[in-house]
Amino acid sequence: MSTQSQQGLAFTRRGFLGLAGTAGAASVLAACTTGGGGGSGGTLKFWNMPWGNPEFNKLDKQITLDYKPKSGLPKASYQVVQWANFTQTFSSAVASKTGPAVSSGGGTQAFLFESQGAIAYADDLLDSWKKNGLYDDFLPGLIDTMKVDKGYAAVPYNLDMRVLWYNKSLLDQAGATPPTDWQSFLDACEALKKIGVYGYGTAAGAGAYTGSHILVSWMIGNGGGLFDEDHQPNCVTPENIEAINFVLECVSKGYVDPASGTYTSANAQDQWKAKKFGMGFDTGGLANNVGGDIKNDLLVGTPLKSPKGTQGMLFFPNNIMMYTNTPSQKGSEAFLTYYYQNMAPLWTKNTGIGLPPLKSITETKEFQADANNVKIIQEWQPIARTWAAPGGNSLFLGVTAVDGTPIMDTFAQSVLGGKTDAKSALQQLQDGIKSALNK
Amino acid sequence: MSAASVGDGLRRARRGMAPAGVGPRGGRRPRGRFGGRKATLVAFALPSLVLVVLLNLYPVIYAAFQTVHNGTLISSGDFVGIRNFVDVLTAVSFWRAAGFTLVFTIVGVFGSWIVGLGLAMLLRTRIPAGGLFKVLLLLPWIVPVVVSATSWNWLVATPQSPFPVLAQALGLGNVLFLADPLLAQVTVCVFKVWISFPFMMMMMSSALASVDTNVYEAARVDGANGRQIFFGITLPLISRSTYISWILMTIFCVNDFPTIFLLTGGGPVNATTSLVVLSYRTAFAQYQTGPAAAIAAIMTVTLVIVSVVLYRQIRKVNIE
Repeated sequence: MSTQSQQGLAFTRRGFLGLAGTAGAASVLAACTTGGGGGSGGTLKFWNMPWGNPEFNKLDKQITLDYKPKSGLPKASYQVVQWANFTQTFSSAVASKTGPAVSSGGGTQAFLFESQGAIAYADDLLDSWKKNGLYDDFLPGLIDTMKVDKGYAAVPYNLDMRVLWYNKSLLDQAGATPPTDWQSFLDACEALKKIGVYGYGTAAGAGAYTGSHILVSWMIGNGGGLFDEDHQPNCVTPENIEAINFVLECVSKGYVDPASGTYTSANAQDQWKAKKFGMGFDTGGLANNVGGDIKNDLLVGTPLKSPKGTQGMLFFPNNIMMYTNTPSQKGSEAFLTYYYQNMAPLWTKNTGIGLPPLKSITETKEFQADANNVKIIQEWQPIARTWAAPGGNSLFLGVTAVDGTPIMDTFAQSVLGGKTDAKSALQQLQDGIKSALNK
Repeated sequence: MSAASVGDGLRRARRGMAPAGVGPRGGRRPRGRFGGRKATLVAFALPSLVLVVLLNLYPVIYAAFQTVHNGTLISSGDFVGIRNFVDVLTAVSFWRAAGFTLVFTIVGVFGSWIVGLGLAMLLRTRIPAGGLFKVLLLLPWIVPVVVSATSWNWLVATPQSPFPVLAQALGLGNVLFLADPLLAQVTVCVFKVWISFPFMMMMMSSALASVDTNVYEAARVDGANGRQIFFGITLPLISRSTYISWILMTIFCVNDFPTIFLLTGGGPVNATTSLVVLSYRTAFAQYQTGPAAAIAAIMTVTLVIVSVVLYRQIRKVNIE
């Protein structure tokens, strides 16, 4: 070995030791750093979800970056958070104080974080909106769904509706008319069955929660629901038993696809495409999601009247929340005011987002051009209720025990599988919710 | 060479040491230089150690902390002692999930091992385009599980899917592969075997390649038939690799989340909910990190025990 190389080796060894030490120290320091959350760095972090097609986030980002704050208030940055594992993404970010100052997210996310003291209440913001007209622009009853004991946990952003859809061609082929009440629904299902088509299309498999949403919707439509006025589970009621018995009747008569309990949303859409679903319940965006030739055949039905004459359907007022971890609360509120005043293109440019919360957007000619959406706003939104029904309409932490939880999956799969009776299934649901709330 | 030096050489050989006088000139290294080498070795290991501590040890310690607290996703909660373990171990859902995990693991380990070993033995024989077959057979292991699960879902989910259509054509009626609880369990287990057998095939192929062919020739000369050769020679000689593959596959199966979650989500009516799926749903759907961490802890301890038992088998094989 040459002298030079020996020196090189000695140098490398020391250098390596130094480098290793530095790397270790840097790692430790990095681990100990609190990080630049929504509350540091002078920029307000806005995290939004992919609510529509790829154009949605492009346009949404543009709206965000066009925000010109008043002097002294922070600018806004934009980040898309994918739906995959979004709960973990938000939870870890909020816990480590690296999260956003303002975000959308899951429909019950605000109530979960509110209970942990991570949410900045929107009361002052809403007061300011009473002065500039924004407050009165919200569809009736929407803002109140966000009210918790200490204030407003969030602001309604887009409406995720559950509605009755039917395939007009298949109904015509079966000689049936669009149903208006429970009995005419059974009649239409029977007619569809004769041509080998299911009348109660739904999905309750991996990641598909529509099946359980619709079961709760039958209960709400019959004057029932899951929670009482004190936010306690009250599932085993005559209204709920009657509603679930009605669904079990549909199952036993073969109106429900027996594999529904394991269908993903994609499987259900395949069934609509394959003309195996002639009627069913899904989100307000079903026709667009199914696409193709079938799209034009898919029409939104009328809310069904129960034997008592009542109507109701579960809906999800997705929302935007502000966090206590912000560089400036005034900055968060100023940004949200700007955002709500300028977000109309997200709907008028057909980015695929759920239905708008503002009347002014529903009145635009672009929105009015979609007859299905107009019908949802006119007929379904007024009768739509939240998880809190029948006790109330304001959401609360307890609904996290039923929103997309294993308890609800089991309930939906049991009922749609037809291997239970209404009272047992509801009792099991009641026990499961109680147990979850007590932990 | 004297008798003493021969004995010394044998002792050195058994201890894996070179003969005296063959090492570096100058005999033993100076103490200072040895110390320098040690420092270098430590320095080389340090970055990895730091990463291991930060990325693995901290989460493990925090998970252990969560097992005795009633926290949520963003708060650590109050100390509750062993209540989470008591709650978990007295829950019907835990034992149902444990039962399915056991079945899933047994079928996953031995199903994939049988298929993998069979194919490894088949591929030892000279067949046309054997290399191509090997590559094709590795595909289930190579393809991302999301793609595999989506493909399997397409194959079995709806009555119009290929497998239900085939079953109907065969006169088996309307077979609901994912909607019937028992069939869903069978489907998930078969799916696991399908994505795992290439790993077993690779392990067994390398184990079979290490067996001296002279042993087989000698056995045949002694009149042993194929069955006797397989059970009397092949299996014992590859037992070490077999135990290692069983340990690894047991760990893979018990910890397998995507295979089940992507195909059935744990349904119908929890029929395919394994412990890892239960833990995930408890933490991220019910926001109860304490019981979720307790389930994970129980799984870890069980896996360690199973691994130790199997590892002892390996040592036993080595000694024999």
